[in-house]
Amino acid sequence: MLWAALVGLLLVAQTLLVMLTLNYEEARAQERSDDVAAAAVTALRQRTQSLLQAIQALPAKTSYEQPWSASATELLREHPAVGRLERRDAHWRVVETSDSPLRSPLFERWPRAELDQEAETTCAAALRNNGARFSRSQFVPGASGQGQEVVQLCQPLIDGGTLTGYALATVVLGVLLDDLRLPANARAHELSFVEADGTRLARAGAVRGAGIYIAQRLLDLPGAPLQLRVDAAERRPSLIPNVTTALVLGLSMGLFCVVVLLVRDGRRRARAESLLAEALGFRKAMEDSLSTGLRARDLAGRIVYVNPAFCAMVGHDAAALMAAEVPPYWPADEVQDYQRRQAERLAIAVSNLAKTPVSPLREGFETEYVRPDGERFPVMVYDAPLVDGQGQHTGWMSAVLDLSDQRRVEALSRQQHERLAATARLASMGEMASLLSHELNQPLSAIASYATGSLNLLNRSAVPAAGGVADGVPEPDPELPGLLHQALTRIAEQAERAGRVIKSVHDIVRRRDQAFEVVGADQLLDAVMPLVRMQARNSGTRVELHVPQPAPRVKVDRTMVEQVLLNLARNGIQAMDGSTPAGQRVLTLRVDWVGAGGMGGGASVGTPGRGRWVAFTVADAGPGIAPEVAQRLFTPFFTTKGEGMGLGLSLCRTVIEQHGGAIDHENLPRRADGSGGGLAFRFTLPLAVPRQTAAPALPDTARP
Amino acid sequence: MMTSAAGPSSKHQPPLGLPMVYLVDDEPVVRDSLAWLLRSRRLLSEGYASADAFEAWLLARDSLADWPSAPSCLVLDMRMPGTSGLVLFERLSERGLLRALPVIFLTGHGDVPTAVATVKRGAYDFVEKPFSDNALVDRIEQALVQSAEVITARQHQRGVERALAELTEREREVMARVTAGLPNKLIADELAISVRTVEVHRARMFEKMNVRSAVELSNLLRSAP
Repeated sequence: MLWAALVGLLLVAQTLLVMLTLNYEEARAQERSDDVAAAAVTALRQRTQSLLQAIQALPAKTSYEQPWSASATELLREHPAVGRLERRDAHWRVVETSDSPLRSPLFERWPRAELDQEAETTCAAALRNNGARFSRSQFVPGASGQGQEVVQLCQPLIDGGTLTGYALATVVLGVLLDDLRLPANARAHELSFVEADGTRLARAGAVRGAGIYIAQRLLDLPGAPLQLRVDAAERRPSLIPNVTTALVLGLSMGLFCVVVLLVRDGRRRARAESLLAEALGFRKAMEDSLSTGLRARDLAGRIVYVNPAFCAMVGHDAAALMAAEVPPYWPADEVQDYQRRQAERLAIAVSNLAKTPVSPLREGFETEYVRPDGERFPVMVYDAPLVDGQGQHTGWMSAVLDLSDQRRVEALSRQQHERLAATARLASMGEMASLLSHELNQPLSAIASYATGSLNLLNRSAVPAAGGVADGVPEPDPELPGLLHQALTRIAEQAERAGRVIKSVHDIVRRRDQAFEVVGADQLLDAVMPLVRMQARNSGTRVELHVPQPAPRVKVDRTMVEQVLLNLARNGIQAMDGSTPAGQRVLTLRVDWVGAGGMGGGASVGTPGRGRWVAFTVADAGPGIAPEVAQRLFTPFFTTKGEGMGLGLSLCRTVIEQHGGAIDHENLPRRADGSGGGLAFRFTLPLAVPRQTAAPALPDTARP
Repeated sequence: MMTSAAGPSSKHQPPLGLPMVYLVDDEPVVRDSLAWLLRSRRLLSEGYASADAFEAWLLARDSLADWPSAPSCLVLDMRMPGTSGLVLFERLSERGLLRALPVIFLTGHGDVPTAVATVKRGAYDFVEKPFSDNALVDRIEQALVQSAEVITARQHQRGVERALAELTEREREVMARVTAGLPNKLIADELAISVRTVEVHRARMFEKMNVRSAVELSNLLRSAP
């Protein structure tokens, strides 16, 4: 529409332009003709004026000193248009005649007399007017059919008031025109004298007139007005070059417009593009920075887009994911299930899409994906329909969250919590022991008191007043049975109370549901090593570790076993402190495979064969222990240390026995050079049932 | 020594009251069983459920100067709710009662170092729970003997002081010279009185002090400075 209007406008403008140009050119041409005409008339007037003056200046009388011929010749030379100059007397007779020296004589073929009648009329009129006068123009035929149009100029010669004759000049009109000295712009014009009816009398100019741009002026010679006609050789201005120019102009204008429009459009596009690029970059950065995996699928379930987080999560690159028929992160053995579930889910989604576009999928579902190395990990998937710009449903966008970290953190915090609880329990052991002793002391003291008192009474009645404060009269105490009854009743009460205390303490000490886990023996040692090393450093003790590779794995309550290790290590370090020369303080922590049966036999300890048990040995280089101490070593509340409670080793034994293991100790033989010796504690833990993936070779364990 | 002065001085002193054992323990069972045990050894006892109760009973008396007049022993539980045995011990110590009222601490497990410290500060002994009962009673009896000695000594001294207070100025002057070992003649010269008068004063002084010889007198004075 706009374009049509623009083109129409352009066309109108072009047409107008062409028309105006043509008009202008015509007007200019006409104007030039007019100018030339005006200039020509002016020049003609001058010429004729000059001629008139020259004629008038001719002497009326001829004298010797002033002969006519001289004047006539001068005039003829001066005015080439004058073909012949005659002097006639008052009676119209020819006195003298002079022909123009510049051309062939005018009247060779044509008798002069043909013109006389006209000349007489003119002269008569001139005489009447007392001035020079022109005759009408007349044709003088020349040689070879050519002729010349002439006018005659008659000047009465008056001398002293009397008419002495006439000067008669024949002016050739053609020469008169030719002789005009006109400006250069007149050269493209044809000048001619015409009669009133348009008959051309004489012409001059290098060109023929085209008859289009014509200017006519009246040259009012006295007696004979002549019409001067100027005809430009120029033709009408041609339409074609103007149209071409206009077209070129118009087209270039159109082009300019188009260019301007293009530039503006380009700029707008560039702006839009940069905005788009910015938005795209923003989106891309957003997608790349997301730790949530994004996955777009088409309606057939094929992946069309994944973000880097998703690629990192499942361990495949984007191209591989998009090329795969079946997503490579689906567990290979459950592809069928996954496919069925995907189909169901998408079907549900489609059926719900019409009503509510998002809600049923928002809740997400949990599933498992597989990394290329075979590791499974839990993910949460949220689906949303993908709707394109036209509102067409083209696929599904899913956000996938890797839950394994979350799971790990949960597990870790759970473990931490349990460990903390266990530690707290251990820490409160001392407090509990104190409480326990207090609680038990009361009834036990009472029982002892009642019993002793009863015995005292019995003794007293058997040996009356032996050393007593009383008077020493031997008499059986009548109150004795009652007192004894009272005492025994109270003893029974207190015994029962003590029993209740023991029971409640037992409830407290009873193990929680045991969280056993499978750990490597080296992990257990690693966990306690920082603390052990710290204590060892303080006392200048060297710590040696011997763990077979691969380290055996045990299923244990980790915290408790770590406490046992820590306890034994601390005991060992303390045993060496002070009693062993600084250079010989070595604490050895050793892990061995042992055969079935654990301790006791001891034959299999250290043998390369692997059994069902793992032995942990903590050996010091201290003084060892005496046999009587050894007997009571694991008895609760027995201690050889000043500040100890005596609970450590008994607790260790409890822990180990709860794991199904055993703990014992032996004095190490002292070597000849005085080194060695010391005490070794050794406890066993059952080997964890190996998983299929772990423990590559177990030659002596029965495998189905 | 006590024994040398005990004979003459105890003649005109009242006999000591029955020994009394004060039991301060928050556990009624312990109080009851201990009382029962003491009774089986023919010892009287009184039980108090807290240190505060015992202290209140103590402060309800008019004066603590001559208390206890009977041999006494305090069996004190070290750990109790409220005022602890230690605090009560400190207060008794401030009042200077520890000699006449020996304190035997009952301690639980882990209080041994504290108990040792209290013995150094004047407690009679400590017994760790659970205790060997007759051994505890033996220690209580020993403490009662000590208490009895202290009370006897205190009463003896009070007697001497009372006797000294009854002496006249002249008799006191004579006594000072007699204890210095001067014969009557020299005493008469120094005091510018007759020997006869000196003898009368001396006889009256001996009677008042309940002694028969100068040696006895000097022993008595030495025993009760």
